[in-house]
Amino acid sequence: MELGRKIAEALEAATFERVAGVGLANAEANHPRIARSVLELAETPLGAGDAAIVVGAGPSLYRRRSLERLRDAGFAGTIVAADGALGACLRAGVVPHVVVSVDPHPERIVRWFGDPTLTGPRGDDYFRRQEMDPTHHGDELAANRALVELVNAYGPKIKVATATSAAPAVVERCEQAGMDLYWWNPMYDDYDAPGSLSRRLWEMNGLPCLNGGGNVGTAAWVLTHAVLGKPRIGLIGIDLGYAPGTPYEKTQYYPELVELLGDRHREAFIHTVHPVTRETWFSDPAYHWFRDVFLEMARGADCQTVNCTEGGLLFGPGVTTATLDSFLADAAGGTTRHG
Amino acid sequence: MPEFLKGNYKVDVKIEDKADAADSTDEFEKRALSRLGGSICFVSKKSLIWQGDGEKDQAKADGAGTKDR
Repeated sequence: MELGRKIAEALEAATFERVAGVGLANAEANHPRIARSVLELAETPLGAGDAAIVVGAGPSLYRRRSLERLRDAGFAGTIVAADGALGACLRAGVVPHVVVSVDPHPERIVRWFGDPTLTGPRGDDYFRRQEMDPTHHGDELAANRALVELVNAYGPKIKVATATSAAPAVVERCEQAGMDLYWWNPMYDDYDAPGSLSRRLWEMNGLPCLNGGGNVGTAAWVLTHAVLGKPRIGLIGIDLGYAPGTPYEKTQYYPELVELLGDRHREAFIHTVHPVTRETWFSDPAYHWFRDVFLEMARGADCQTVNCTEGGLLFGPGVTTATLDSFLADAAGGTTRHG
Repeated sequence: MPEFLKGNYKVDVKIEDKADAADSTDEFEKRALSRLGGSICFVSKKSLIWQGDGEKDQAKADGAGTKDR
């Protein structure tokens, strides 16, 4: 078995190791701020109709100008964005109804909402290196200042589906920007198992547990289907892979792969040809695991999931592929034809 | 090295305790792997949403994502 796939098989347990401790600590810290359950979102007016678009922060957003096309089409349905895509949405003139945030990292995630406390470049090169939002690659401070202003301006129109694992700094920033918070618990483990952390969390705060699928984009899809009840979901920016030509050094987990594998780190990347575009995208073990998990969840879901990214690596049983334009045309016409 | 294996002589080579080395390697790999993980867990073969014991029977009947709202 390829090295990358072998590592991917270990990531369900590895993710638990990574996030459970800090996620539970954040849940305790956030407890006094919890006022609404995410279930209330289902009763809240969002977009019209049955169709929804879930926006991830993958490179296809820029390559395919997905957000500009979404804006120009005047899509009337519900728009749910991963936190990492919020800046791209607002810069493109798309105000999502709901933003989803889950990552417990104490410092990084607040930047997706514009960090008013940022006065100089941090030692952490994450935002200069990551492929998700190239706006941060150049002048980090200017990009952050612009985002602070955008989020301050549109925050009161945006609802945040906040996991209890979210860093308190993110919660504070969202409240400061006038965003309404709707809370949920990440599902950490089997709630039927003895000593389950998920069950302990539910007993503590009474909030529903969502099976997050490894990353915030997948969690946004879960929420759109399982909480909002949308039966037709189009995906943009959920590539779960790296675009052709992306240097390995610019990938999400590059430093960690080098630390783990040394000179063999290149063997961890998995290259795949997209069946429609014929482009060769690639994944690292994490993205490969995210893809497998998404397909497993989508196969069993009682909804239509349409990949409108026009690229990426998310294809297989349970997910149909269509252009964004055809999905939007179908949504506007109220038809159900896809693929 | 366990005390009961020590003799009244000295050897020129340094003997590494393989059990300790293996533990150390495992721990390094575990820590390194955890840094490769995602930002939220995935629990295989469970429903997409769990709302507590009131839904226990329904959630149990569902596979991952099967009409699990």
